[in-house]
Amino acid sequence: MKKMLALLLAAMMLLAVVPVFAEGPVEITMLLEGNNVTDDAAVLEKLNAYLAEKIGVTLKPTWGTWGNFDQLALDYVNSSRNEYDILFTCSWTSNEYAKYAKKDAYVRLDDPEDNLLEKYGADLTATLPELLFEGAKTEGIDGEKGIYAVPGFKDFATMNTWDVNVTLLEKYGYTLEDVKNAGFYGWGDIFKTVKEGEEKDGEVFYPFVFEGAVVERFVTGTPIVTGDSNSLLSYYMNTEDVSTPGAYGNVFFNKYATPEFEKFVKQMREYYLAGYIDPAIAIGETATDTWRNAQNTARYLISSEVSLYGYEYTTSEARGIQVAYLMTTDAPYIDNTSVQGAMMAISSKSEHPEEAMKFLNLLNTDPYVMTLLNYGVEGIHYTLNDAGEVEFIPEARATYSPWTNGVGNVTILPPQKGQGADFQQRFAEFYAGSKKLPIYGFTFDSKPVEIEIAAVVNVKEAYALSLCTGAVDPETALPELLAKLEAAGMQKIVDEANAQLKTFLGE
Amino acid sequence: MTAIPKKTAIPKKAREHFRLNAVSRKTEAAFHLVLGIFALACIIPFVFVIIISFSSEDSIRRIGYSFMPQAWSLAAYEQVFRLGDALWRSYFNSFFITVVGTVISVVMCILYAYPLYRKDYKFRGFFSFLSFFTMIFGGGLIPTYIVCKDLLGMSNNYYALIVPMLVSPFYIIIMRTFFQTTVPFDLIEAATIDGSGEYTTLVRVVLPIMKPGIATVALLTALGYWNEWFLCLLYVTDRKLYPLQYLLMEMQRNAEFLARNSSMIGASGADAIRTLPSQTMRMAVVVFIVLPIACAYPFFQRYVVEGLTIGSVKG
Repeated sequence: MKKMLALLLAAMMLLAVVPVFAEGPVEITMLLEGNNVTDDAAVLEKLNAYLAEKIGVTLKPTWGTWGNFDQLALDYVNSSRNEYDILFTCSWTSNEYAKYAKKDAYVRLDDPEDNLLEKYGADLTATLPELLFEGAKTEGIDGEKGIYAVPGFKDFATMNTWDVNVTLLEKYGYTLEDVKNAGFYGWGDIFKTVKEGEEKDGEVFYPFVFEGAVVERFVTGTPIVTGDSNSLLSYYMNTEDVSTPGAYGNVFFNKYATPEFEKFVKQMREYYLAGYIDPAIAIGETATDTWRNAQNTARYLISSEVSLYGYEYTTSEARGIQVAYLMTTDAPYIDNTSVQGAMMAISSKSEHPEEAMKFLNLLNTDPYVMTLLNYGVEGIHYTLNDAGEVEFIPEARATYSPWTNGVGNVTILPPQKGQGADFQQRFAEFYAGSKKLPIYGFTFDSKPVEIEIAAVVNVKEAYALSLCTGAVDPETALPELLAKLEAAGMQKIVDEANAQLKTFLGE
Repeated sequence: MTAIPKKTAIPKKAREHFRLNAVSRKTEAAFHLVLGIFALACIIPFVFVIIISFSSEDSIRRIGYSFMPQAWSLAAYEQVFRLGDALWRSYFNSFFITVVGTVISVVMCILYAYPLYRKDYKFRGFFSFLSFFTMIFGGGLIPTYIVCKDLLGMSNNYYALIVPMLVSPFYIIIMRTFFQTTVPFDLIEAATIDGSGEYTTLVRVVLPIMKPGIATVALLTALGYWNEWFLCLLYVTDRKLYPLQYLLMEMQRNAEFLARNSSMIGASGADAIRTLPSQTMRMAVVVFIVLPIACAYPFFQRYVVEGLTIGSVKG
């Protein structure tokens, strides 16, 4: 009996390892993020014919969705089988770029021994801005810095903006300039006028709607510190010129212990008590829905948005109002988080890394391939109007809408309806004007203080959102939070981060 | 006018007499209360879901989920029907997986449990142990995943959604117990003496008596298959194979993921949120999921009750 079982198992294993000899083009498998694709047959037919002729590969995509990508990526990383040659990765998914590059999950593309980028990616390196590759450098298993994924050429700089409902603003005789000049600390009067005016018909109106978890960064001028995924650290930018260090220099602080933070939460409390902020925004479960619903139904005056170039057009159209975005810094700033926001890595288990690189090279430089994969087939999924703009066919688009930013170089795509024929040039020019943060390239390695972080995060989670939305009184809650953070070992985290930064800057 | 005759009261003693076989009134009231509350606790959430699915999105935005929404609307159901192919295909998948899975699973369960019940089967102990062992010790998620996906090729096909749940040691034990309590061994001996072979005995003699037991296991298995989404999450990426449960699960997970990462994905995330199914629509999908299985329940119920009472000594 046991022998039989053993034989059976052995037979199964044999079956599994018998290689399949393929003739003709090499099949490249690819895992993507954030898609809504149910029917890719028409696209793949055209794409694969083209790819097979041009570089001798065919593509087999797996269309991950927002909901299942994390699971798929983790399954793959844990499994022994080579299932995807190319994987989407970035600083915020479960197959986190820096972390898994260090675990040897991805092929080093600029490996001095076998430089795939040099061999097969010449067009790619010529097309993508140098700084993208710079930001993609991370430590591998050998501790050497290298490029482990092709960065996406998209809105690679962060634009923290106030989203202003201009239509409503002008109804009460204010201008965009008024909002700009008053600044966050001086919006009280505008809020008051608009709230009173809008509530005449008896309906509750909240003029200030925002994402509670990030709005603090807009006001105090602090970027996300790459590697600090729990928002514990603050680095103060010079918001007048983001490429130079701020007033404090290049140093990290405990986010909750600075005078700037205290001033911010006190102001929020004032707005909250005055009834300018929807209480639902202070509750984690309802926060995002409330914020987005208010925006989409145009029931807000000022909101927060991490925006991108040309986004006014999209939102104005969708909401039926005039929307304007006021940047909180002098220029979009480039940090690792935004540069590593969407990347394509080649799996270290891949049997065809060279073909995969050839494909990535083509995907990011050949408009035909990129357009086909993103927008579908002309005549089936979209039509081109006289201005050369893409107009989607809704029924077909509903079965084929990949997440554009998650695919590759968006600047070689044709413009969409209403963007204008020269949209991509303007887009590229706009982001060419963005500035690198002084600490660009730094990634906080949380490993040495893992235990402290686990303890601190629990404390922080209980207070942060309600403090940042003004739902609790900072007079009592803030000292409580600070005391608890201290007890949980916050200082050690800050010291560790500063020590790492010093080493990084070579001081 | 004649006086209406008073209703003759049943003497207290006699009343007690009727209740000889029953628990006391107080206990009964307590039981009713507890069970009533339990039943309500089961039904109210579902009623709530139905109400939400018929509320207008605007009302939810204003006053949140409520038993008394400000306005009613059929918009959610219109949205669900607009899913079109995706919805009906998922419906078909759910039915297909449930029916095929249940039939195969029940057959396997019977064929495994029957020999275990037969006292004259030599390897009874070994096979009992074999199935019981897997109840206590499992391989863990990752090894199971690797074996299923890499070794057995369960990825992006119906196998992956059916095979991993085919054999449940727990149901085998239930089934064996059913055999033991309902089928006297003498019956099998009698059948053998009458010249019946093993298969005829099983199919023509044993199974007809076993109907309640089979119905119970079939119902539990069918419920398991109908509600399953985890297998799909693990092994299936092709949206053509999604069962209804996973379609809903995916809507929910998409919404949660985007909410969590909105600042990372930025503006394109906002677009994605705008195209997400609304809250009321997700509730409408829940209604679609629950309805068929709720309709199937009454048909099985008779057997389940029978199955629970059969075999015990009746008063």
